[in-house]
Order: sequence, then C-alpha cells, then structure tokens
Amino acid sequence: MIELGPLAINLAFVLSAYAVVMSLVGAWRRRPDFVASAEHAVLAVWAAVLVAVAMLLHALVIHDFRLEYVAAYSSSTLPLYYTVAALWGGQKGSLLWWLLILSSMSAVVVLQNRHKNRDLMPYVMAVLMSVALFFSALLVFITPPFETLAVAAKEGRDLNPLLQNYWMTIHPPSLYLGFVGMTVPFAFAMAALASGKLGDVWIRTTRRWTLFAWFFLSLGNLFGALWAYEVLGWGGYWAWDPVENAAFMPWLTGTAFLHSVMIQEKKNMLKVWNMVLVILTFGLTIFGTFLTRSGVISSVHSFTQSGLGPFFLSFLGIILTIAIALLIWRLPLLRSENELDSLLSRESAFLFNNLILVGIAFAVFWGTVFPVISEWVRGVKITVGPPFFNRVNAPLGLVLLFLMGVGPIIAWRRATWQHLKKAFRWPVATGLLGGIGCFVFGAHDYWAVLAFSLIFFVLGTIVTEFARGMRARQLMVGESAPVALARLIGKNRRRYGGYIIHLGVVMIFVAIAGTALFRQEKQVTLNPGESFDIGGYTLRYNGLEERDTPHIAYLMANVGVFDGAKQIDVLKPEKRFYKKPEQPTTEVAIRSSFSTDLYLVLGSYDGETKMATILAYLNPLVGFLYWGGLVLAVGTFVVMWPAPVAAREPAYSAAPAAEEARS
Amino acid sequence: MNRYYKFGVGASLLVAAIGYLMYAGLQQSSTYYFTLEEFLPRKSELGGQGVRVAGRVAEGSLWKQTSAKGTEMTFAIGDFKGPDEPIGETVPVAFTGIVPDMFAEGRDVIIEGRYVDGTLHAQQIMTSCPSKYEPKPGEAAPPGARASN
Repeated sequence: MIELGPLAINLAFVLSAYAVVMSLVGAWRRRPDFVASAEHAVLAVWAAVLVAVAMLLHALVIHDFRLEYVAAYSSSTLPLYYTVAALWGGQKGSLLWWLLILSSMSAVVVLQNRHKNRDLMPYVMAVLMSVALFFSALLVFITPPFETLAVAAKEGRDLNPLLQNYWMTIHPPSLYLGFVGMTVPFAFAMAALASGKLGDVWIRTTRRWTLFAWFFLSLGNLFGALWAYEVLGWGGYWAWDPVENAAFMPWLTGTAFLHSVMIQEKKNMLKVWNMVLVILTFGLTIFGTFLTRSGVISSVHSFTQSGLGPFFLSFLGIILTIAIALLIWRLPLLRSENELDSLLSRESAFLFNNLILVGIAFAVFWGTVFPVISEWVRGVKITVGPPFFNRVNAPLGLVLLFLMGVGPIIAWRRATWQHLKKAFRWPVATGLLGGIGCFVFGAHDYWAVLAFSLIFFVLGTIVTEFARGMRARQLMVGESAPVALARLIGKNRRRYGGYIIHLGVVMIFVAIAGTALFRQEKQVTLNPGESFDIGGYTLRYNGLEERDTPHIAYLMANVGVFDGAKQIDVLKPEKRFYKKPEQPTTEVAIRSSFSTDLYLVLGSYDGETKMATILAYLNPLVGFLYWGGLVLAVGTFVVMWPAPVAAREPAYSAAPAAEEARS
Repeated sequence: MNRYYKFGVGASLLVAAIGYLMYAGLQQSSTYYFTLEEFLPRKSELGGQGVRVAGRVAEGSLWKQTSAKGTEMTFAIGDFKGPDEPIGETVPVAFTGIVPDMFAEGRDVIIEGRYVDGTLHAQQIMTSCPSKYEPKPGEAAPPGARASN
C-alpha cells in the first residue's frame, strides 16, 4: 500500500503542470471549458496530495521503518503525539506538508470563486499551481519522502529531542499556514496585473486570506519564541537568528500590506506600493525557506546543507522577474486617483507606518545577509549579532508604537489643531501618566520611561475609541454599557477587531520592553545546601535527584525558592538524557507569576561532589508575550468573522467625534 | 507640490535615520567569521579582535574542571576533516562557563571570542546538530546552543 504514496506525488506533479497550462491557454483562447478543466485539476491535486500525506502519516503511525523518513524521524517508543508531529519534523515531510497546505488553499480558492472573479481565476490558478508544481517537483526529483531503505531499519533514530515539545508541534504548522497563505494574495495580485482588472476586487477578495495568513504568521513567530524560551535554556526568546529573521521579515511586510490596502480601499491611492508589498511578502516567504534550507547563512539552526538552496533561489528569481515585469507593464493603469493632502493626516500616518515596517524588514534583511554581502565585497565574512538588530529596531519599534497610537484616530486628509487637541487629549494624558508611573516605580532608565509612555499612549487611544463608540450607542439607542460594547464591536468588526489586535500587539511590546530593560541574570556554582539571592528571591540548592524511564533518564537539581524565610516553591531544572539517539538536553524550570518569571537552568554538575552550576534569570513581564498573543488571536477572529447581519442593520458606531475623524 | 515636498522631507529624514542606525549598529557589532582554514593564515593580524571561528573539536584535546567559578575547560579546534584524515594545525581554546549539551570531542563548533597570545578565549560556544539530524525548516537549535559565560 505504501506504493500509493509516490504514485500520488507523481500524480500531483503532473496534474499541477496540467492545471498551469490549461488555465493559461484557457485565459488566452477564451475557453471556459479549459479553465473548468484546470479547476478540476486543482481539486485533483489536492486529493492526490491528501493521499500522499495520509500514506506518510500511516507509515509513521505503524512504524514502517522500511521508509528512510520514518526511520530517521520517529521510533517505536516515541509518543503518538510526536509521531504525528514527525510528519513535519524533517525536510521531506515538511515540503510535503507545505504542498498539502498550498493545495488545500488552492482548492478552497477554486470552490469559493466558482461564480466569481471569472476573469482573474485562470491566472490565480496558474500562479498557485506553478508554486505547487515547484514543490511537487522537489518531492518527485530531489527529496522523495517515500524513499525506502535497502534494508529496513529495526528501530528508528527518533525525533530530535528538542522538537519533542508542545510548542514545537504547533509552531511549524502555523508558520507554514502563514507562509503558504501569503501565496493567495500574491496569486490574486498577479492575476489582477495579468488580466488588467486592477480595481480593488483583488484586494477585497483576498482580505480574509491575507488576514488568515498574517494571523498564523504572527502565531507561528510567537510559538517559535515560546519554544525557544522553554527549550533552548538561554533565558530569552528571540536571538535574531537567521531562521527567526526568515519568519519575521514576511510578517513585517505583510503587516505593512494589511495597513496600506486600507488606504487603497478608502482613497484609491498607493496601488503600486500595494503590489510591491504583496510581491515582497511572497518573495520573502520563499527567501525565508531558502535561507533555512541552503546553509548559505550560518545559523545555529541550519548547519546541515541540504542542496535545495539553488532550486529555491532560481524559483525566487523567476517569480520576482515575472512579477516585476508584469508590474512595470501595468504601471500606466495603476495611477493614484487621489493625492496626499497633508502631513498631519491618517494617510500620512499609514504611509510612515509602512515606511517603518519596510525599513525594519530591510534592516533585518541586511543584517541577516551581511555575511554573504561582506564576503562578496571584501572577501571576508562579517557577521552581525543581536546588538545590531536591537540597536536598529528598538528606536524604529518605538516610532511604530507611536504611530499605532496616532493612526487610528487622526483625521483623514488633513488634521486641524482643534481636532488634534480633542482627539489626543486623553491618549496623551495617559501616556504621560504611564511615563511618570514608570519613573515613580523605580525605572529611571530613559528608554523605559519612553517605552512605557508610548505603551500607555496607545492604550489611551484604544480605550478612548471604545469609550467614544460606546457612549454614542448609549446615548442614541439607550443601551447598557456591556450591550453597547458588544454591539459596537459586532457591527464594526473590522475596526474594533483591529483595535483589539493593536491591544495584543501593545501587550507584546510590554513583554519585549520588560525583558529587554529589566531582566536580571546570575550564574552561580554551589554545593548542596548553599543558597543565593536574585531579585526578591532566595534560592537554595538542595542537591541532585535522578529518575529513569525507558525513553529518557532525568537528572534534576532540587532548588528551594524562598521569599524571605518562607519557602514558596521547589523548582527542578533538569538535564535529560534521551536514550535513542543518545543526546543530552537541558530542561529549564520556570516559576511564572503575573509580573515576573523566575527561570532556572541547570548548567552543569559534578557527579561526585554534587556541585552544580545554576543559571537564574528574572524575566519581568514576559508573560505578556503569551497573553498578548491570545488577545491578538481574539482580535483577528473578530475581524474575520463573517458579518451577514451587520450588513442589513444600520451601524450606530459612528459617534460625532468618530464621524469627524473619519470624514 | 508643497505637501509632497514636506512628505518627501519627512520620508527622507526617516530613511536617513534608518540608514544611520544601521551604520552605527554595524560599527558596533560586526564580527569576522572564519573557518579554521581561513583563520590560520591571518591569526597574527587578528590579535585582540572579536572573531568567530568554525572548526572541529580535536579528539583527545579536552580538559575540563568544575569549580566554584563554573566549568573551566580547554581544548583545541582543527579543520573539518573526514574521520580518517589526519587533523592539521589546531588552535587552542579556553572557556569558562556553561558548556553546551552537544559539546564533545569530534563535534563541529563555532567559537566566538578573542584571539590573545595564541589562544582563542571563547565568550560563546555554539555547537552544531549531529549530522544525522536535518535541521527543521522552522527551527532546531542545539540545546544550550547560545550558552555563554
């Protein structure tokens, strides 16, 4: 039965090629029957890939060690949960997984647009299936996932212990959903260019897709950060490693795109810019994949060279060339229908927000590829470390935060002083209060005061917006406050959902500011019974404990946590010794409270003297990373939730002040 | 045209600021990256400078001791060679701090530190995954890969 796997992948390869040809010929010769045939082929590709994935999953679950992939990434003692995760745990499986997501999305796009966007669809399918063709070609010719071993292995080599972690099972799937999801807006943008239908139909059609992709990209990045925090044991969650940057760059340009399309929808401006952003975002997803698989940039993540690099780079080159050629060809049709009126306007705030997001993306890109560039130019590889990224991005991030407070409430077209005073009274007041509060509570650092002033400024903006809308509803419809809030959000999901997302982002900023500015760390080597202080805690090292299971042997340091004389907790940072493959790993122990994480690492130990080196970190406010992600998710759901009822009823959201701000 | 002029000025200022930040950041945190093979001929010029050197921990060179200061160790790194090839010239490394889990003789490592008086004083040791693991597309760093002292 395992033979079905390769067969299905070959079929997907042939069918996606067929779909590309038929849809293009169909568009060119105006043959709806050809296009319909291509649509069927898209659905068939999906079915074929589904079969291939099911076969690989089946092989993993029944421990079919005849397959090289199964033997390399799982074992008979691996828990089922991680056995399923092994599906995307290795290169071949992850490419197949990518193809599954792409073909599923393509199928959904085809089904959604059976009676819509008929001019665009042939080109949309051609783009989607070209990408599918590329990935299936890799799976057929370069890295076949169903490769069998000459002699079946008796036992698998198991999934890398580092990947046997909760976050690691959900991080790759969501990152892939984000990466692959960006293909859909790109495909529609290319279709708009190719067909000449350059209105905002492509933007409205893909708005949900872009949000969907952005959402998973955001979560993927966050999950990755949480994984690094809990597993890598260096006390932080983000190190500007090339692989992290690879996932962060498309997020930045994608965020810029989500904002600038609003300007196109409202004002028919920035059409070329939007095209550039969507091309950049898609290009960066492919570039990111290239980075992680080529070994071109040395990263702690991507030591092994897989030989896939040149293929990804050529593919990226072809895609960018075609996209840019199409864009230049259609430039005359992409004229802006409006002009920028004033520097003090919402348009201008959005533009600067875009510039900064793209600027950050550029700085991250530059820092990431700098070793390669310096080698070309000067013949020596020069790497840049986290200080570069922090130095560049911290100020830019703060400006971005400021604009996040300004953008939603400044008037369109031209803001007057009267308007500015009225709209920003409360936000500015809360911002000042935040800064003063920060200072009073003992953070006398210049950056801390600035960061928390801005954080409270944005909070002020968000709260005022909600309060204004609620008050208007209460006055006009006489609703109670909670009802007014619920209806306000319900009837303006896009706007208020957006504010909720902003709230989540602000919370993430709180976590970043807290850990960047107030983190404490200490490294001590102790004999059993000795103790040390960090922050308000006293930690006593009580000795080593051991535990053995068939899969893993554990060695733990027993550390008592004291608040004054009272013991409040026992933490056990550990070393694990995975038996198959033999590999030691470090497991951190974390005590989380609302404001601070106490984070302990067992650095090393001496088996005879029981002396142990313990690293202790105090990470203030790091929990906001998690809660911010949750709020961001809630906000995205609000924005994306279909709103059939709201379309029929009038919305009472527009308070006089908000109306003025919008007009 | 006036408003475009203003916007242009604003945008240029912003771009200039980003450019300046990047320039300053590069001045501050750039480090030479060499493989051992590239490092050897230049080592005399690089005295006292921050470098990253990639090499393989030479078999039999490791000395380790845990004291109240943490783990002190010395070892030598050589070029990446097949198992049967004789290892060429090596460079001694000294390190005090948390040893990454994956660190062992024969492993490929990147040493970040300063080259002073013929010894590479490591501030950070990064280990590579054993070759049987392909890296994940998402991420897969070795544990404690960023251990530093």
